[in-house]
Amino acid sequence: MVQAVLKATSSLDSQRHARMEVLKEKVEEEEAAEREEAAERAERGEKTKRPMEVRRGETTMTQEMLRDLERKLSEIEVSVPEKILTFTKDTIDTSKLPLSYQSNTLKEEHLLQVADNFSRQYSHLCPDRVPLFLHPLNECEVPKFVSTTIRPTLMPYPELYNWDTCAQFISDFLSMVPLPDPLKPPLYLYSSTTVLKYQKGNCFDFSTLLCSMLIGAGYDAYCVNGYGSRDLCYMDLTREVCPLTMKPKETVKEEEKAPPKKYAIKPPRDLTSRFEQEQEMKRQEAIKAEEENRRKQEEARLLEQENAKTDPLHGLRVHSWVLVLSGKREVPESFFIDPFTARSYSTQDDHFLGIESLWNHKNYWVNMQDCWNCCKELVFDLGDPVRWEYLLLGTDKPFLSLTEEEDEGMNDDDDVENLGKEDEDKSFDMPPSWVEQIEISPEAFETRCPNGKKVIQYKRAKLEKWAPYLNNNGLVCRLTTYKDLELHSYKSMQPEMDRVMEFYETARVDGLIKREETPKTMTEYYHGRPDFLSYRHVNFGPRMKKLALNSAESNPRPMVKITERFFRNPAKPANEDVAERVFLIAEERIQLRYHCRSDHITANKREFLRRMEVDSKGNKIIMTPDMCISFEVEPMEHTKKLLYQYEAMMKLKNEEKLSRHQAWESELEVLEILKLREEEEEAHTLTISIYDTKRNEKSKEYREAMERVLHEEHLRQVEAQLDYLAPFLAQLPPGEKLTRWQAVRLKEECLNDFKQRLIDKANLIQARFEKETQELQKQQQWYQENQVTLTPEDEDLYLSYCSQAMFRIRILEQRLSRHKELAPLKYLALEEKLYKDPRLVELLKVFV
Amino acid sequence: MNRLYDMEPRVMDDEMLKLAVGEQGPREEAGQLAKQEGILFKDVLSLQLDFQNILRIDNLWQFESLQKLQLDNNIIEKIEGLENLTHLVWLDLSFNNIEAIEGLDTLVNLEDLSLFNNRISKIDSLDALVKLQVLSLGNNHIGNLMNVIYLRRFKALRTLSLSGNPVAEDEDYKMFICAYLPDLVYLDFRRLDDHMKELAEMKHQYSIDELKHRENLVQARLEDEQARREELEEHKAAFVEQLNGTFLFDSMYTEDVEGSKLSHLPGVGELLEFTYKDKFVIICLNIFEYGLKQQEKRKAELDNFMECVQEAIQENQEQGKLKIAKFEEKHLLSLNAIREESELSNIEAKIVQYSEDITELFNVLMTLEMQLMEQLEETINMFERNIIDLVGLFVENVQSLMAQCRDLENHHHEKLLEIAINILEKIVKGEMDEDLPDDVRSLFVDKDTIVNAVGASHDIHLLKIDNREDELVTRVNSWCTHLLDKIHKDEIMRNRKRVKEINQYVDHVQSELDSLECGDLLD
Repeated sequence: MVQAVLKATSSLDSQRHARMEVLKEKVEEEEAAEREEAAERAERGEKTKRPMEVRRGETTMTQEMLRDLERKLSEIEVSVPEKILTFTKDTIDTSKLPLSYQSNTLKEEHLLQVADNFSRQYSHLCPDRVPLFLHPLNECEVPKFVSTTIRPTLMPYPELYNWDTCAQFISDFLSMVPLPDPLKPPLYLYSSTTVLKYQKGNCFDFSTLLCSMLIGAGYDAYCVNGYGSRDLCYMDLTREVCPLTMKPKETVKEEEKAPPKKYAIKPPRDLTSRFEQEQEMKRQEAIKAEEENRRKQEEARLLEQENAKTDPLHGLRVHSWVLVLSGKREVPESFFIDPFTARSYSTQDDHFLGIESLWNHKNYWVNMQDCWNCCKELVFDLGDPVRWEYLLLGTDKPFLSLTEEEDEGMNDDDDVENLGKEDEDKSFDMPPSWVEQIEISPEAFETRCPNGKKVIQYKRAKLEKWAPYLNNNGLVCRLTTYKDLELHSYKSMQPEMDRVMEFYETARVDGLIKREETPKTMTEYYHGRPDFLSYRHVNFGPRMKKLALNSAESNPRPMVKITERFFRNPAKPANEDVAERVFLIAEERIQLRYHCRSDHITANKREFLRRMEVDSKGNKIIMTPDMCISFEVEPMEHTKKLLYQYEAMMKLKNEEKLSRHQAWESELEVLEILKLREEEEEAHTLTISIYDTKRNEKSKEYREAMERVLHEEHLRQVEAQLDYLAPFLAQLPPGEKLTRWQAVRLKEECLNDFKQRLIDKANLIQARFEKETQELQKQQQWYQENQVTLTPEDEDLYLSYCSQAMFRIRILEQRLSRHKELAPLKYLALEEKLYKDPRLVELLKVFV
Repeated sequence: MNRLYDMEPRVMDDEMLKLAVGEQGPREEAGQLAKQEGILFKDVLSLQLDFQNILRIDNLWQFESLQKLQLDNNIIEKIEGLENLTHLVWLDLSFNNIEAIEGLDTLVNLEDLSLFNNRISKIDSLDALVKLQVLSLGNNHIGNLMNVIYLRRFKALRTLSLSGNPVAEDEDYKMFICAYLPDLVYLDFRRLDDHMKELAEMKHQYSIDELKHRENLVQARLEDEQARREELEEHKAAFVEQLNGTFLFDSMYTEDVEGSKLSHLPGVGELLEFTYKDKFVIICLNIFEYGLKQQEKRKAELDNFMECVQEAIQENQEQGKLKIAKFEEKHLLSLNAIREESELSNIEAKIVQYSEDITELFNVLMTLEMQLMEQLEETINMFERNIIDLVGLFVENVQSLMAQCRDLENHHHEKLLEIAINILEKIVKGEMDEDLPDDVRSLFVDKDTIVNAVGASHDIHLLKIDNREDELVTRVNSWCTHLLDKIHKDEIMRNRKRVKEINQYVDHVQSELDSLECGDLLD
């Protein structure tokens, strides 16, 4: 059988041979070009490297530079995974794996031979290409063909039915291990069950698992062995914008302009010179162009900074990902899924630099197309044997594009072959997967990430995910965004820091809406207050040093300036309604600005300067005209009076005190809120859904209690069903009513029977007791006879037997006495019960 | 009232007032200031003049802003001299010898009035005190309980005291007041409880219902009248008042003796009633409706214009404010910079720089204003043209309609003349069957007389029509000129005010700078 198959394959191979040779020349040409290019690239890489070294050599190290370097180095460290994850055979316990893992079936052996044959031909025909990734070793050191490692499985979780959520799950569930050699496919390819068990794997493990699940869910999915960019291979998302931070573009509605009114004023006549305008415009454009240029340069610089250095191994790094072809599951267009990040890419994406081969659970295809332009020009028509060399003929091809004329001859050949070797084709079927059923427990499914925690670095963002209930504060996802690439500022719960608090103004008596804080200022916004206050801004000065250790009380910062703004109070005329007042506390100066009347463009202003002065005679000067500088749009008589100004100033002084007090109270309130928040943060409990029976303790207890109750109930019912009369009733003819005589006899019989049973039981216990005592006596006798010759072990044995026997005898004794005690009571109880039995009660009552 | 102490009645002279103001003025530091400066009577808010033996209220006209005035425990006999104190809220005239309430007609802001212990016998003359809340009339001579009903008109009245009056002796006193003044809360300084109010209401239900009914009727009549008046005003604004009926036609015949006589002629009555009058009234109605429509149009035009002008002014103001705000920001900085600068030459340079800024601000603001003025002028001219056109059209159309009226009148005149001559002929021939009243017959003496009579009637009619037309045309024209005048004047005023404002502001800023310079120089 094997021989026949081999022959058949060899005839197939000869055809393939011919085809490959046609391709070979083409491939060779292209590869030559590629090599040149690679060489060039390498050179370039060197070139780009060299100036850096030169520069470094030139610079003399200053303190600043050292710090700079230190920072840079620390950054570099961040991008590298903290510890190299190892996932080798040693860590896997292979002893408990099923047989299919540890050996190959006949069919598999055959497949491996076919694959080897294919590989030989391939390497012969395309000697420049790297050897194919066909049958890596599994965890038990057994070579397994890659297609058989795919185990199509439909998961029981509805979340895993679509490709995006499925890929997301795998990317969360497994942690990534880089390939041992980034330039070669791995030697080992473990089963998906092992990978799931240890929750880590390389890109091949990821894509095999994903492929299994996608095929199981009905997608036309393939594992791809190819070349990816460095970011892709190392799952480095630091140059990608986090998808969560992308905002949908807001559509700006343009307001409709009202038609110009009849008497709308005409714009003022333009008296500027056209020529000058043009000149100005030109000048502006030049400036703009210059700025644009500068900006571009800046951007380029930034981009360079962000892109870091180019990868010297560009295009050589091996990566594995998943290809989903259009057609099944309403996929409109073929696309790639990177299993590390679960992101989908178009087949034209720059990250994917070439494809060596691809496979699903049925077949294996080698790419015969040139990848000089990444994957952009690849045609994923797997039925086209010129572009995709298949390994097994018999399996159904995904599709044949019949539109291509040149293929028609081939198709005919295929058809002929198919016809001729129909019976043998079956033997070419891919053997069933050696991998066990892929299973994910609900716990593991819910926990998702390894240890329930995952951190992803994006460009200017960090995304952290946790499993539900892992954090006791209920945190499941945290997105941290950074404004720039380097500087990270942290906002803390400490007082006197940058902070914005927003309030529900309707719930507050003081109508506070928002309070913004910076280390030196505090700004409050109000609404709907009876005093029309809308804004208060407090500037703080540096804290005074405490002169003495007088108290543990807080040492409030001195206020330097308080600015308050007011809404218009409709009850007052505008020119007497204060719009803004500024208390310059240190300078003892108060500035007032009034609201502007609707027909004015200037507003009243007043400034009070408090100077404690003493005149020539030593009297205190209360008020002088220069203590109040005011500007009035429409000067009024009474405001010029010193008395008026004095009174106004006194009032303001009081209000200053009040404002200071309020600001101080606000500070206290902030402290209070922060304290409260902290307490709340610490003392919270998650409410668990009552349907979550595993976590919800209460519901669990309740459920268990219910079960217990049910069980007890059941037992009781069984007991209650025990019918003493049943055996005696059975003797009587069924369906007839009992006569009194029968009833009495029934009772007598039942009681007698019970009495007999009690006596039997007593006898039984008595018999056992006697037997035990006899046995004991025998032993004692034996012991006394042989006491001298006994070894210590035998003696021990004897002693232990004795104590046990004594114990048994005692127990039997106790049981006997207890039985004797209880028997009459039991007898009476039965009698009582029989009297009350619903079947006998009528008849016996008369009797009694 | 007889005073126990015997003192000469005093006159409220300047001295007494000054003393009182001084004594009751501010204390301590403020008092020193007040003394230093002197207090003007018109700034005083509260004045206390009790136990002064004042006989006559006088010399209070200067206290314009007075809110509280105490004149209790004097010997005042007549309320007078309070006309100027329109801001008064609190007035105490208790313990005087007043006999009648009077002289309070200008005190519309009064809330609390005390006339305790006087000789008043009738509650009266308080109509102007719409805000009255507290009225104290205890220890007076009020004898008629029905007099209380007068107080129903004060909707804000909550406290009333009438104890010590003859009315308070009445056993129904409390109930009656409670029933007739249901909003009252305190009577004679005691709270009226709800139970009492209920009882009172039940007791006096009938009379109060009747009273209410009457009040409602009066109220309805007043409202009706008000509505009618408003409608008429509206028509007047459209210059077509009383053209929506037979008013003009009727007025043509009211003064026309001959006409009314002639209307008794056979055939004239029908002519008058059915052909002439009907047609005439229809034309009048046409004029009326056209007038209203035109009024609407003019109003819309005016509103549109006003809105646009307001918008333009607003926008301009916003720009001005913005400029000033920007300037002030800079202004603070530069002032501080000048203050802190120590180098003299630098100071000078900065001052020069700063004055240049001020000049620039001035120029910018003035340019804005000039621009606005020009723009508004243009718009106003356009409006003027349009409104004059509108008025012209209106006048023209009304005149043509009036000409129709005149045609009708002429036609009627001819007909009448014909009839009259026919009748005359008949009378001359002695064929006249019907009897004519004597005064009518007297017209038919000869042809001249009858022609004259008919002519006179005709002339009167034409005169009436002409008068009405003239009145309409003159009024609409004068309205137009007044409106335009006002718009021009307002604009000029606005412009002047703005220019003044800008100048004032710039002067102020400049003076600040100057004072700074002075200070620096002194330093």
